[in-house]
Amino acid sequence: MSDWTVKTREAGEGTSVVYVNGYLNSRTGKELERVIHDVLDAERPRVVLNFERTRLINSIGISSIIGVVERMTERQGTLAFCSLNRINQELLRITGVSRYVRAFDSEEEALSYFAQSV
Amino acid sequence: MRLLWSQGAEFSFRPGEFFGREEELTSLLRVCLEGKSGIGASVLLYGPPNIGKSSLLLKLKSELKLLPESAAPPSPFAFYYSFSNILSHPLALSQHFLQEYLWQLLAFLGESPPAAFDLDALCESLTARGHTECRDFLSAHRRYSEKGDGLSALANAFSFPFATGGDLLYPVFLFDDFQYTIKLQNIPEGAIFSILRPYIKSGHFPMIVSGSSPGHVTSSLKREGLYGSFQLLEVGGLSPDDSVRAWAPLFERRKIRMPEHLMVRAAARLGHVPIYQRMFAEEVSFRNAQIEDEVAFENLFAFSITEGKLNRYWREFFENAIPDRVNRARAIKFLKRVMFDQFPIDTFEGAFSLLGTTPEEGGEILSALEFKGLLKSDFEHIEFIRDPVLSDFLFWAFERGVLGKNTSQVAASIVQAKISGSLVEGDREAQEESAEVAKEMMRRWDCREVPALLFDFGKFQERFREKGLLEIVIGLEEDAGKVRLPKISSVSTGYRTLRGGSRFDFDLVAYGFQDGDFSEENLVIWAVDVNTEKTLKHAAVEHFENRCRLLSLDKGLNPDQLRKWILFDGAADPVIVELSDRYGIYLTHRTQMRFFLNLFGMQELEKGKEEKPPPETRADEKPLEFELVLPIKADTEIVAARVAEEVAAYAAVDKDTVDQIKMAIIEACINAFEHSGSEAGKVRLRYILSPERIELFVQDEGKGFRPSSAGDESKRNRGWGLKLISELVDDVDITTGEQGTTVRMVKNLRHGTGEGSTTPDDEG
Repeated sequence: MSDWTVKTREAGEGTSVVYVNGYLNSRTGKELERVIHDVLDAERPRVVLNFERTRLINSIGISSIIGVVERMTERQGTLAFCSLNRINQELLRITGVSRYVRAFDSEEEALSYFAQSV
Repeated sequence: MRLLWSQGAEFSFRPGEFFGREEELTSLLRVCLEGKSGIGASVLLYGPPNIGKSSLLLKLKSELKLLPESAAPPSPFAFYYSFSNILSHPLALSQHFLQEYLWQLLAFLGESPPAAFDLDALCESLTARGHTECRDFLSAHRRYSEKGDGLSALANAFSFPFATGGDLLYPVFLFDDFQYTIKLQNIPEGAIFSILRPYIKSGHFPMIVSGSSPGHVTSSLKREGLYGSFQLLEVGGLSPDDSVRAWAPLFERRKIRMPEHLMVRAAARLGHVPIYQRMFAEEVSFRNAQIEDEVAFENLFAFSITEGKLNRYWREFFENAIPDRVNRARAIKFLKRVMFDQFPIDTFEGAFSLLGTTPEEGGEILSALEFKGLLKSDFEHIEFIRDPVLSDFLFWAFERGVLGKNTSQVAASIVQAKISGSLVEGDREAQEESAEVAKEMMRRWDCREVPALLFDFGKFQERFREKGLLEIVIGLEEDAGKVRLPKISSVSTGYRTLRGGSRFDFDLVAYGFQDGDFSEENLVIWAVDVNTEKTLKHAAVEHFENRCRLLSLDKGLNPDQLRKWILFDGAADPVIVELSDRYGIYLTHRTQMRFFLNLFGMQELEKGKEEKPPPETRADEKPLEFELVLPIKADTEIVAARVAEEVAAYAAVDKDTVDQIKMAIIEACINAFEHSGSEAGKVRLRYILSPERIELFVQDEGKGFRPSSAGDESKRNRGWGLKLISELVDDVDITTGEQGTTVRMVKNLRHGTGEGSTTPDDEG
């Protein structure tokens, strides 16, 4: 079991991939918002949220994701989700978040989508 | 020559001794007659060995023969053909098939077929009736035989019947022991179906295929795209009434008398399987025995199992099914545990671990057992044929082989076990009651430290044998050995009574956490058995230990995470105590339990104090109920989700539904945490599982939902929690009362989820 909850990787061309590990609850959510805050320093930031290792998201976690969506919109950045499992996909659908953010099956697909929209 | 071949079943079939199965016969007859109008279907009969599949086919044949001739032609010609392991060479099979078909056809046409089994003579007789095509098939057969072309010979022979019909008759195929066709040398599995495929599809040639290995046969059918054309019909024991009626002709012929009430018992004892009844009658007659009472019956039954007909039948069966001696012994030991000891097992992993072999070796044994119809399997589930006579045979073979007991010793123990069988049932209540007491105790034992001697029957005996109460109490207080008990978060009974989908069959299972720390590493599971028999037996301990091993395997627990505990009433032999010690099983006697209860300030529960299920639910549909108490602490909702997952596993719920249930319960817990009155409070959860639905209750101790007074942080989330719950489950209602707020959520399990359960990722 690894200790990290949220981590970031620079994918080049101003794009960051943010990974969320385990249970996205209030604690992990705060960590996520903090990490995103750091990324937002860039001009027109581009972020891929990778949920491959996110086992569960609770309602507070959903709120954090909404917070991220709001921040990104304010800064005119681009956000994409990838590697959501079915239940998490369903949660984002129920809460309406999926209407604002594109979701991809894999990180590669998300990154290539960004590359095309330069 | 004829008798040497496969005519055993047909030769020994006595229509007068055939009873029951009216329903099956009616539907099979209909299928056969519909061939005339081209809408005939095909049927796959399956069932364990010697259950009476062949008799059913032969009875069907004789019924077809007796049909009134007034009906307009063509009339059905019932062709019975039994495949056998002797005919494993395709050329031999082709030859025999042609001979057999011709012989039966001529007999059907009213000819007296040539006495010698001469293919040419048979063919000439048929040609004389104008069927000249016979010669062509025969010469083709010779040609392929000379070339050694087995597959073409088979195709030729099996196509022959379809050329013989004309306006007068149409063949109805009664194929017996079909599983042998997969063992044909150098012929791909399913080749016969592939040859027959167009005829089956035509609907003009009804085919009743019987075999004890439905797995092999159905997979061949699927490969040939024929699965949809076949109806499946499982053949089991007779109905109790029919099997009692079946005694009359058996006894009459042999001049045996048996009191009526014993006939019922005897039929049940023999699993309502006709062939056992016949063997048993022969046994009685051979021994010139009188059966006047139950003991006499049990004695004779035990004899028959240990050295009589029933024994011979199964001995030969195993020798034939698994020729290798070592593997045979393994198979017998394994089956004995599954069937006689009622060891619950339904997965391949479980089977391999119980066999004590590698998957390769174990697979060979299981496949032999499947071939012979003793088990049914699909991709992840295996099911054993439960046959009372077979169980007792396995018991005999095991005791003889492993323990070296002689025949009469084993016979005596079988008799004893069966006569005292009803006693064990009576103890069920005492067992459940004791489990309830233990359950209540475990609920209260959170993080307490108790004398280790309470768990250790051997040491307890050693120290306090013949000591007075006061001495024991003082001794316990002074003893340095202490056990720190975990925090129990969920404890449930009823595993044993509701066998349905359960695998681990314990009297009680509890989930807990060491040091009250709710983390994965601190998870412990307590598996508890309550034994109410007079003495704690070797088999009971072994059985318990095996189930524990399976549980550890299934849950990936390290030895320290599984606590094994047997509570017992009676005496325990030092050998048994030592064995339990070796396995790391805690043994506690009733007297130790009393001290335990004392420590927690408890009286033994009175009968009926526990909640009763609502009266309208029938006993066999009693819902399983699980309870969990959560401390209000960040992330403990994960524990609730985990328990929900385990509960749902009982109903084999698909993964998507499980995920939805988990999320709903997480949200309900978070709500409860936020609205509970105090930090010190607790949240109570109940999971009620029935075949139709899972009902979840989450109760807090607070004053109810007060969305307006919630702080900023939770206001932001509030809406989501309830919205999510209502989307994830089928029904939600919230009631607020003096005891706090209860959220009740219902998820129906029977309707389709629409999307299936194909998510590949596992978030366990």
